[in-house]
Amino acid sequence: MSLIEVKDLYKIYEMGSTEVRALNGVSVSIEKNEYISIMGPSGSGKSTLMNLVGCLDSPTRGDFFLDGTNVANMTEDELAEVRNRKIGFVFQTFNLLPKSTALRNVELPLIYNGSIHKSERNAMAESALARVGLEDRMDHKPNELSGGQRQRVAVARALVNNPAIILADEPTGNLDSKTGEEIMILLDELHAQGNTIVLVTHEEYIAKHARRIVRLLDGKISEDFVVH
Amino acid sequence: MRRSFFWENMRIALMELWAHKTRTILTGTGIVIGIVAVSLMSTLINGVDRLFEKSMEFLGKDVLYVERWEWFGNEDWWTMRNRPRINLEDAEEIQDRSEYALAVATERFRSADLSYREKKAESISIHGASYNYMDVSTMDIAKGRFFTASEDRTGAQVMLLGSEVAKNLFPNESPIEKTVLAGSYHFRVIGVLEEMGKFMGAFSMDTQVLIPVGTFNKIFHGPWGMRRITVKVPKDHIEDAKEELEGIMRVLRGLKPDEKNDFAVNQQEAFRQQYQAIKLAIGGTGLIITALSLIVGGIGIANIMFVSVTERTREIGVRKALGATRSQIQGQFLIEAMVITGSGGLFGLLMSVGISFAIDKLVFPASMSIGVAVMAIVLSAVIGLVSGLAPARKGASLDPIEALRYE
Repeated sequence: MSLIEVKDLYKIYEMGSTEVRALNGVSVSIEKNEYISIMGPSGSGKSTLMNLVGCLDSPTRGDFFLDGTNVANMTEDELAEVRNRKIGFVFQTFNLLPKSTALRNVELPLIYNGSIHKSERNAMAESALARVGLEDRMDHKPNELSGGQRQRVAVARALVNNPAIILADEPTGNLDSKTGEEIMILLDELHAQGNTIVLVTHEEYIAKHARRIVRLLDGKISEDFVVH
Repeated sequence: MRRSFFWENMRIALMELWAHKTRTILTGTGIVIGIVAVSLMSTLINGVDRLFEKSMEFLGKDVLYVERWEWFGNEDWWTMRNRPRINLEDAEEIQDRSEYALAVATERFRSADLSYREKKAESISIHGASYNYMDVSTMDIAKGRFFTASEDRTGAQVMLLGSEVAKNLFPNESPIEKTVLAGSYHFRVIGVLEEMGKFMGAFSMDTQVLIPVGTFNKIFHGPWGMRRITVKVPKDHIEDAKEELEGIMRVLRGLKPDEKNDFAVNQQEAFRQQYQAIKLAIGGTGLIITALSLIVGGIGIANIMFVSVTERTREIGVRKALGATRSQIQGQFLIEAMVITGSGGLFGLLMSVGISFAIDKLVFPASMSIGVAVMAIVLSAVIGLVSGLAPARKGASLDPIEALRYE
């Protein structure tokens, strides 16, 4: 089975008497070590799909297998554990805790991972920061770092629990194009090292870093092709 | 919650509270004030309790007083004042008939002017007591001796002085073997009583003098003054003894079964009941009023926790995205609330200890009991738990997607 197996997924919102089909029967498979971009205009269901793939939300209908387990019907706490172990988030707005150092921010997923002992956390967070080239910025707080450095901290945080997929939602949206490119190169490297990366973006040139592009329109997949 | 998580939440709470020092101090102050109010109130009630118990000691728990008047009775004043006087000769009958009575003493009271050389004291309480009075009393003799049975019987003019009386009539010399004039009678001082302190902060035994009741009867004839028969009974049969004593008195008085007692058998318990009622009214009300201040403090905590949860919506979203469960988020905010109230409570407790120490030194015997201290700490933890619960649940139930999008 594929790493991600989405089968006939529906997400329907009731808005008063009308229903909005944010996802209207989406099926897609993503293999291990794929590098895939999800694209689409706003309202296409792109964000909804990302939330479902990120286990932040449950579908109205359909199955979603992640790493062999069906997460479509999981409870809130089970989803929290899946998010912790299997998914590494990179957000557009970085979403670092402002009062914590880079190291503490990167440690955060390990804290919520009950199977990792306190003594191991530090070393794991340090090595994740080293992988994004921030070994000399570990004790800096977010406001002492540049935008690009903050996003690197966020990438390190996404990596630290060794997740099945890294889910990056407009990771360059808040960065200038040069810094954005640096972040994309970092993601390319992570892919080259064997990570599976799902990128959500509406920028064509960002999407082209991926090896495969899935386009959504009106809650359905309109295109699914491999980039050369 | 896992143990490691408790400390993690504790660390988060301390960091967060440190980041908002002013806010923490202001909200914590509400709890400090509440805890100070509640624990001082309890301490004062304890102090009054001890004062009462100490005052009660001289009455003796196991002593019954046969008198004309009921202590704190509901009897009509006119009825009571027209009761026959207590006949002290009944004491012998009581001694003979009672199975419980360990000792039966008689007492009379009146006042007279006292003088020693040029020193005078007007209206000193003259307390006549039988030779066996020491068996029913908690009084002690500081100097000298008590009078003997034969001195009592023959009406010897001997006297024991209360400590205040001795101090004032004989500031520079020993009163023993000196002659004191009471009214127009000469008394030889044979002893000085141990200081007893004031009873309920008012009436004092230290300002009286003690003479044999036989002497009292002989020289102060006439019906005036209070008389009573004082009966010491076994500690574990007080109620039985009281019943028996009433029976004996009814027989001696020749009362018919349908007639009411025309005498009173009083005991320390009457004071206690009266005191308990007052204590419940004043102390209970005081505690409720001071508890209100604690509740106000708790509301302040709840308020600030709601603010904190709203401000940190984004943080909650991030934590949830990274794998925090509902209960972990809830624990985080609960612990934060409890750290505020707990440290406020601890600080309040320290302040109360200081204040009650000062009160004890300056005003009133008050020292905080361990029970009050434990209560203060438990109470502040509970306030934290209660006032933190609603905000914590609100934070914990946030939808991670919306929380992440929150600006």
